[in-house]
Formats: sequence, structure tokens, C-alpha cells
Amino acid sequence: AIVIHKCTFCFADGIERSAVPLKFSTGLLQRPYALERLSHITTAVLGHSLLIPDMSLVNLAHVCSSLNNANKARLALASIPHTKLHLNICIALQQSGLISSIVRGGPTAPAPHLLLGHPTIVDEEAGAEPVTQSNVASRRLWVGLKYWQSEPVLGTMTSISTPKRKISVKLPDLRNILQGRRSGSVDGLRSPGECLYLKTDRGFMEARECVEKKVGGLALVRVN
Amino acid sequence: MSIARPARCLFCTLSRAATSSHRIPRRPFHSSPAQLNRKADDPSVKASDMKTLQEIRKDLKPSDFKPYTEEEKSRLSEEYSPAQIAAIEAGEAAIDPKDMAEQFAVRRDPMKFHYLDDFSTIEPVVDKHIRAPASNSDYNARLKDEDELMDDFARYFREMPENATAADWVRFVESLRLTIGKEENELNPSSALVPDLFEPGESLSKDPQPVESLKTTHGQEKPSEEMTDALKKLLQATGYTLDTIRSLKLKTLVSHAVVNQTRLGKIRRQYCLSIAGNGNGLLGIGEAKSEESSDAMTQSRYRAIRNMHPILRYENRTIFGDVRGKVGAVELKLMTCPPGFGLRCQHLIYEMCRAAGIHDLAARVERSRNPMNTVKAAYEALMSQKDPEEIARARGKKLVDVRKVYYAGRV
Repeated sequence: AIVIHKCTFCFADGIERSAVPLKFSTGLLQRPYALERLSHITTAVLGHSLLIPDMSLVNLAHVCSSLNNANKARLALASIPHTKLHLNICIALQQSGLISSIVRGGPTAPAPHLLLGHPTIVDEEAGAEPVTQSNVASRRLWVGLKYWQSEPVLGTMTSISTPKRKISVKLPDLRNILQGRRSGSVDGLRSPGECLYLKTDRGFMEARECVEKKVGGLALVRVN
Repeated sequence: MSIARPARCLFCTLSRAATSSHRIPRRPFHSSPAQLNRKADDPSVKASDMKTLQEIRKDLKPSDFKPYTEEEKSRLSEEYSPAQIAAIEAGEAAIDPKDMAEQFAVRRDPMKFHYLDDFSTIEPVVDKHIRAPASNSDYNARLKDEDELMDDFARYFREMPENATAADWVRFVESLRLTIGKEENELNPSSALVPDLFEPGESLSKDPQPVESLKTTHGQEKPSEEMTDALKKLLQATGYTLDTIRSLKLKTLVSHAVVNQTRLGKIRRQYCLSIAGNGNGLLGIGEAKSEESSDAMTQSRYRAIRNMHPILRYENRTIFGDVRGKVGAVELKLMTCPPGFGLRCQHLIYEMCRAAGIHDLAARVERSRNPMNTVKAAYEALMSQKDPEEIARARGKKLVDVRKVYYAGRV
């Protein structure tokens, strides 16, 4: 049966269940009404499965390219899509000292702080633009880039895991990588100051931090 | 080599410091061991009469320790003053011969010396350094004024004998004090620095040679034949001395003919690419072309010397991390290596590393192997190394060499 109802989440008058592909909705048609509402939301919002949501690596390579291009052009700010994965990676980069600032902004760059020169959320004058339901989709992360002696501090960023092939690194392998030896398909860290960022169940960390905390994880990006 | 030859080194040369300070006899640096069991020089002393130390000790009695005879006392009076002789006799009287006989022993403890030595002379390596005492320092010493120096000279001229010789003048100059203060502060100053192992003139193999005096005219005699305009300009431009340039490692790596077709015909020139390095972190490359091959080689070498730049080295033996270089179709990468690895690379890169003072390196030339471009790409790679200090400054983070700090250089 086709049930049309108002949904508080997708602001839609209703979604025709028949519009949802059958392979994802065969289970839903048999469910009672209460669960139908929930399941409708999950299919509408997440699109595919009822599995636990995961951070998508689809845009990771694009982020690396964007930052590399911005570095080559010696830009002060670079914008990347605003997702949890990207935000966490940027926080890890900032803690390593490779980038100077991360600010959530719109399609255009946020105004720089008068004294600091880069945008910051504690700017009383300009202030942080509040994120609302109307503008959340257009939000982007604006990354402040660093340069030293005419060279970018964030050298070259390369992605390691792809959406199709996710490369996890165990702790013993990570120790080898830190010593400069190759492990599996992940090359060792051979340059001075080379960094490798991993997503672990204890958060997003640099390879050396992971070894300190004795955890392995999903290898995301390498910075040269 | 015999140990009988006395080697007088610093203290026998006519140095000012020595004449004032008391002579401390030093043992020579002979490598041959002391021949202790030699037959006595005196033929009247037979081997059967000579006793070993153990035998002497066994047979020792208190009566063996007798006071000095009159003959011995007269011999002593030749050497020592009456006051000294009185002191010696008082010292001898204070000790009981019975104690001397009992306590005379050949040491057998683990800390005994394994050689016979009376410790009257100072061995350069094994004994404590001979240092001027701290009391020799005078912190209130100051240089003499011009007036005071003039007074000294005036005094010399007043007291000059009738027929003064150069020797008198030399003696005056040698004894001239340049500071007002303690004499020891000027002539034998106390220093916190450890004295050199080899004083001027000393060596392990040779007998002490006389100290070479600084001759300013010595260097000017040789290069009068070789000094060309180009070399003069190089010395002026770089500021190096001829000795420095002679000590540089120069090598022509690439040398071939190149032809330029003009309306007058083919002009054949020689092209040379050379490297110059001091073996301790400096490396430069220079190229030149000339119709004469010798001229091209010389010019390229001089250009290499002018273009010398410092190259970063980790522990003065290898590079920091892996680096890549690309010139033309040549793509290569240089890889850092552990100590003792050696230079496992192409002959061109090997020569460059030797000139630069890099001892451990691995290299892989990936694409083309054109010699000229290989040299240039390798140079580019060596110059593109990242300095951890700069990285730390750029990131605002501390970078620690774990190999040194945590593993004490053993990894």
C-alpha cells in the first residue's frame, strides 16, 4: 500500500514508497506504521542500507588535490566540503602544525581577522556566521595554509585509502612504517617530518600518536 | 729503535715560554717497547750475579738499609746544598730500617703496574696533563701602553753594550714583556683547555722535529710559475687561498665534443662538466666549453669552485631522508642509508658524494641516464633536502632525532 504522510525531517509532504527502489524497501512494506516512519527516514536520508553509518572516503582524494593545488598557487585559504571526516583530518593537521586555521564558512571565504590575518570564529567584528537549517548544505571548511621560506609547510598530501579499497594498518606494521620500512601497500615514512594520519577508534591521529597509544587504524592521508 | 736516545721536544727549542718555566722531562713517543731484560752494558756484571726482584725481596734484611758512607755523602754534597743534605738525612733517620725491609714488596695486587717505572719522567699519554696552576692567572693584567713599550726600548738602547750584535737584540726582544702583571700569566698561562696530545714537533713514529717557524715568504715561491689570470681572478672572487684550492677535490665527470654548424663550417668545441668539493659538506658543479680541451677543463673546474654550496648532511655521513631530482629525462632518487652502508650508486653520483663528504648513500636513476643531466639532477636532489630545524620552525613543533635521543645512535 502507498502511504503518504508528513515528515518532520525531510520537510516533504510525503514520499511515495513506490519511488524507493524495491531492493531496499522489500522489508519495509511488511513493517507496521510506527517503524515505517523511521525506516522511511533512514532510506530517505541515508539512501542505501540499514547498516551503521560510516565516514565516506569519496571526497578524500578531492580534498588532497584541492589542498595541493592551493599550495602550488600559494593561496592563503582553501575550501573543502564540510564533513566530519574532513573536519577531523583538518584538526589533526592543525595539531601537527601543518595548517594554521580551520573555519566553517559559506561558498565565499570568511573575512580575515583584523589582527591575525586569517579568519577565526572568535572574531567579534565579523563574527562566525551561524549555521542554520537553511544554510547547512552550503557550508564549507576554509583551511588556512602556511608557507615558510617560499615553500608550503603542508607539502604534498596524498590519500592512501580509497572508497573501494580501505587500507587498515595494524600496530606492528605501523611501527615498521615509522622506521621507514614498507608494510603491505603503505610505504615507510622516509622524509624528515613526514606524517601519516589514521582513523582509529580512539579518534583521528598521526601515526606516531597511534603507536604511543598502541592502536592501529585506517590509513587516510600521508603528508610529505 | 732504542730507548736510549733522548728525545727533547718542546722544551729544548728556543721558545720563550720554556726559558722561564722549569723544565719537565718528558718521555719520547717511541713505539718500540722498553727492552727490560737486556744484558747489562757493563761486561763485568755477569748474568749469574744479577738477581730477580723476587730474589731480592726474599733475601732482604734490615741490615741492608745502611746509612750513607762518607764517600756517598761527598757525592751528595756535589749535587745538593748542605740544607738539602740535612733534610735528606733527617728523613732517612725518621724511618726504621726494619719497617723498610718488611714493607719492601713487589706488588701483586690487581692495581699493580705491569712495567718498571720510577715515575720521574712524565709520559705524554698515560700521565696527568702538565698544566700551569691556576695561581698563574692574573686577572688584573693589562697590555702595556705605547709609552711603557717606548720606555723599554729606551732602556735597551741606554744599556746597549758598545759592540752590540744581533744576538743582543734577539735576546732583548725575547725577554720583552708585553703585559703588566704576573710574569707567569704571560709566559706560562693557566688554561682550562686540555693540552694537545701532540705538541708541535712530537709524533708517534718520528723523533721530535724542530718546530716549523711561520714563514710568510714560503707560500709565495711555488705558484709563480702556475699563477694565471684566471686563477688570480678565482682567488680574488672566492677569497680562498691557493692551499685551500689545492686541497679541494676536483673531478671532471663529463667531457665530450660538441659541434656548432655555422655558415663558416663546423666549429668543434670541447664541453666539460666538473665538480668541486671540500669533502666536508661543500659541493659545486661547473660546466664550460672551449675549442681547447684543457681550457674547457680548467674553466669548468674554476666555475665549480665558484659555485660551491653547502649540502645538508645527517651526522656528516648521509642525507636527510629520501630526495628526488629531475632534469630533462633523468629522474633519480637518493636514499638515506645507515652508517657503514657505503656509497652504492652510479659512478657519477659516487664521485659527487666523495667530493661532498657523504659516505652512505643509495641511488636509483629511474629513466634516462644521460651523464650531464644525471649530475645536475643529483645536485638538485642533494640541494632539495629538508632541514629538520626549518621544518620545526615552520610548523611551530619540536622535531627530535629519535635515533640519537632514544636509541643512542645504535639503531
